[in-house]
Amino acid sequence: MHQRTVPCQYFAPQKIEEALEILSQYGKEIKVIAGGTDLLVQYYDRLYEVCSWLDLKNIKELKDIRINKNQMEIGAMVTHAQLEKSEDIKKYFPVLSQAAADIGSPQIRNRGTIGGNIVNASPAGDLLAPLMAYDAQFRLLSIQGEKIVSAEDFFLGPKKTILEPAQLLTRIILPLPSERTYGCWIKIGKRKALIIATITLALVVKMAEDNKTVKDIRACLGSVAPTPIEIKEIREKMIGKKFNQLDFNQLGQIVEDKISPIDDIRGTREYRKDVAKEIMINALEEIDSAGRERDY
Amino acid sequence: MSKLTIGFIINGQKKIIETTPFTRLLDLIRDDLHLTGTKEGCGKGECGACTVIMNGELVASCLILALQADGAVITTIEGIGSGGHLDPIQKAFVETGAVQCGFCTPGMILAAKKLLEENPYPTEEEIKRGISGNLCRCTGYQKIFDAIKLAANRLSTRDGGRGEKDA
Repeated sequence: MHQRTVPCQYFAPQKIEEALEILSQYGKEIKVIAGGTDLLVQYYDRLYEVCSWLDLKNIKELKDIRINKNQMEIGAMVTHAQLEKSEDIKKYFPVLSQAAADIGSPQIRNRGTIGGNIVNASPAGDLLAPLMAYDAQFRLLSIQGEKIVSAEDFFLGPKKTILEPAQLLTRIILPLPSERTYGCWIKIGKRKALIIATITLALVVKMAEDNKTVKDIRACLGSVAPTPIEIKEIREKMIGKKFNQLDFNQLGQIVEDKISPIDDIRGTREYRKDVAKEIMINALEEIDSAGRERDY
Repeated sequence: MSKLTIGFIINGQKKIIETTPFTRLLDLIRDDLHLTGTKEGCGKGECGACTVIMNGELVASCLILALQADGAVITTIEGIGSGGHLDPIQKAFVETGAVQCGFCTPGMILAAKKLLEENPYPTEEEIKRGISGNLCRCTGYQKIFDAIKLAANRLSTRDGGRGEKDA
C-alpha cells in the first residue's frame, strides 16, 4: 500500500485568490480538477496516486459567460452544456456552440468544461480548433499576476502547454466578430456520440462590406497535428478575393498538403489527408450556399 | 491514508460519510451506501451504466470524485419510484420489453427521466440524442425508444407531465 508522509487534502475554495494561494503552496503536489471527465479517465487505474485535490467547483466567477465591451469572456468552468445552450455563444460564435454540442454525451457535456478541454490539450480536443479560429486568448493567473496568451502560443504538443504548475487558466477571451462573419464546423468520427474526433475543421470567414469579398479567414483543424493548427496559407489565397470566385478544390488541396497527421486507431495518415481536403471543400460550399440564400 | 468527511443528500436522505481522495462517486454509491442499482460498465464515461442525477444534471458517476459530491443532491435509480410502485417511465420500459439483461436499464431510465423533464414531447431524434450517453447491447434500442415515447405520451396526457398519479 502507498505510504504517505503528508495528509491528503481536498480544497474547494470559493475565491480565485484562495485557489492561487493553494496552487503556489502545493505546486505539482496538488491536482487541479474541474469537471473530471478527462482526468478520471487518465487516472482510471491509478487514482490512488493523487493525494490532494484543488476542486474549482465553488468559484462562481469561473462559471459565467459575459460580454464585456467588444469581447466575450467565458469562465474556465463553463461546461460544454452551457456553451451549447448559451444564446450569446450561438449568435456570435456558432462554430464553438456546435463543437460543444458534438462533445461526448449529455453526461459528459454536463460536467466537462471549456477550461478543462484547453488545459488537457488533447490534439483531438473538440473546442480547440474553433477557439483558434475565433482568435481566442487565454487568461492565466498566478499569485505573481496575470498573463494573456493566444491559443496559438498556448499549445506546445499533445497534452503539453505553457501553463505552469502555479498558474490557473481562469478565462477565455474572444473578440466579438464583426458583422458578416460566417462559420462552419465539421467533426468526423466513427459515430456521433462519445467519439474522439478523427479530424475536425473550424472555418471562420469575415466578409467585407459588399458581403462577397473575403476580409479575413481562419481555417483551423484538430486531430491532424500535435496541437490544433491553423492553415495560414489559406489566408493568402482567400483574403481580398470574391468568395464565389475561389477555387474550392485548390483550397482543399492546400489543406491536404499542409497537414501531416499520424496513423492511429481513429484513422490513417492517408485517410486524414483525403478527408481534410473534402471537409474543407464541404465547409466552403456550405458558407457559399448560405451566402447565396442571403442574397435572395 | 487520509480520510475526509463529506455530506450530501441521496434519494432524499441526508448522509455524512468518510471517504478518501481516490474514491469515485460510483464506488461511494455502490460500496459504501450499498445502492447497487447504479452499475459500473466501462469506468470511463462511455457506457452510461453508472449514470445518476446530481444537482439536477445527468452525470456519469465513474467520472466524479466522491469528494466532489460534498454538498450535492443526488438521485440514483433507487430514488425513482418506490417499492412496488413504479415510475411511469419504469412501467413503460417493462410493458414495451425495453429491458433484456437489465444492466443498462438504471442509466437509461435516469437519462429518459431527465430528457422528459426538459422536453416532454421529444421527437425520435431528440430521444436518440437524450440517451446517446447510454449503451445497450441487447435491445437494439428500438424498444427503448418505444418505451420513452409511451412514457412521454402517458405523462403528457395524464397530468401535465408531472407523472405523479398512477403507475
